[in-house]
Amino acid sequence: MDLSLLVWGDAGWSDEMLRGALMTLAVATAAYAFSILVGSLFAACKLSSWLILRLLADVYTTVVRGIPELLIIYLVFFGGGVLLRSVASGIFGFEGYIDPPLFVTGLVCIGVSAGAYNTEVIRGAVQAVPRGQIEAAKAIGMSTGQRFWRVLLPQTARYALPGLGNVWQLTLKETSLISVIGLVEIMRQAAVAAGSTKEPFTFYLVAAVLYLGLTSLSNQGFRRAEVWANRGVRYG
Amino acid sequence: MSRPVALLGMILSATLAVPALAQDQDWSTIRIATEGAYAPWNFTDASGELVGFELDLARNLCERMEAECEIVAQAWDGIIPALQAGKYDAIMAGMSITDERKEVITFSRDYAATPAKFVVLKDSPMADFSTEMERINLAEVSDEEQAAVGQLVEQFRGMSIGVQTATTHENFLREYLGEEADIRTYDTQENLDLDLQAGRVDAALASMSYWVPLLEGDDGAEFTMVGPAMTGGPFGEGVGVGIRMEDQALADKFTAAIDEAIADGTVKELAEEWFGFDASAK
Repeated sequence: MDLSLLVWGDAGWSDEMLRGALMTLAVATAAYAFSILVGSLFAACKLSSWLILRLLADVYTTVVRGIPELLIIYLVFFGGGVLLRSVASGIFGFEGYIDPPLFVTGLVCIGVSAGAYNTEVIRGAVQAVPRGQIEAAKAIGMSTGQRFWRVLLPQTARYALPGLGNVWQLTLKETSLISVIGLVEIMRQAAVAAGSTKEPFTFYLVAAVLYLGLTSLSNQGFRRAEVWANRGVRYG
Repeated sequence: MSRPVALLGMILSATLAVPALAQDQDWSTIRIATEGAYAPWNFTDASGELVGFELDLARNLCERMEAECEIVAQAWDGIIPALQAGKYDAIMAGMSITDERKEVITFSRDYAATPAKFVVLKDSPMADFSTEMERINLAEVSDEEQAAVGQLVEQFRGMSIGVQTATTHENFLREYLGEEADIRTYDTQENLDLDLQAGRVDAALASMSYWVPLLEGDDGAEFTMVGPAMTGGPFGEGVGVGIRMEDQALADKFTAAIDEAIADGTVKELAEEWFGFDASAK
């Protein structure tokens, strides 16, 4: 292992690798926020009394969880541009190539996939809140909004946290797949550095360390959040 | 067209798309993709800058085509689908022109070919072997080239030659020396090198882009390259610029520029700078 490859600045690769790590973190964070939004929406659909919404949510979670992440990326990245182009030329008569920005493409790909997992996590958490509490809230005259904010949401969040933490870790690692679309995150940067210096071992080891650092730091964060969410709960 | 549909389209394009990357029919701007991780063809230096043989060549060709060029890095996986999806207009990434690829994209003429060369031990009786011609293109064989091939066949008559299996190099040996020499195939180039070192084969055939760095290092200290540098024919059609099928006009533009750059020696100069030998197409 040649450590001189890893100096900071223009002579070494540390700054590039760190920039890759920041990109990984940025995409993962944005995609994760998007996936919680999507997850909450489809969880609500799954618990809806309307058959059509339940069906829609079922199709989403079945399809997205059932096909490989890489395939979703290919569909959105290569298919997305073609779709936009046909919309543009069909409706506006605009002939040419349209590209969604890479970051948005990456965010959507990862977010859509993680959203399907979050749908199930959130649905399970909502169902874990005892029905009796909602009935009790109704009995003392809470409005729908009050029932949601004061009873359902805090407890759902508590039940969902361990599962959400799991999905976060998956999301962080799945960002490595979007290197195929040219977004320079940890894996792409490691591949570029490895191919350019012919020192694959050094750079893939650095990539592994960076991923481990990100996952263990965020694990710590989720653990604290769980302790906080459970502060008023008495066990046994 | 109904108004809701138009509205939807507008919302879609406003939220998702960066429009205005329109395709230029006159090719005054060209977007070229490279891998950025395949030294010395195209790679990235430690400051994050794209460098390499193909970067220098691309800039040179763009000047000749009087085009504004934007060079982007794209991972090798998906480099062809992204071309087809219109993310860029051309690929210069050490991509060999093959029949499989020609089914989905078109190519300019070749600008580089890493020639094949024989390697023997330095103390072998063949260590001084050379032919009249330094380079042979087997695509269109001239009389002189035919004579050099004859010399080659005579030299290797009865010898054992090692080669990596399922390569263009094996195809060449089967076609030209199948009767005369004892051809032995190896699953990896490294295994072949070990047998050559141990004297189990008399000679080995592989690409110069493999031999040159090897011979500079400790592992190849006892090896030497002999005979002509061979391209074309069974060795394939070399490396060219990959272009979308429908943009044949752009492929022709590249071909014309490459013709010029080869004729005035630019490609040779750049190849010698980056590879340490002349890897230009002929």
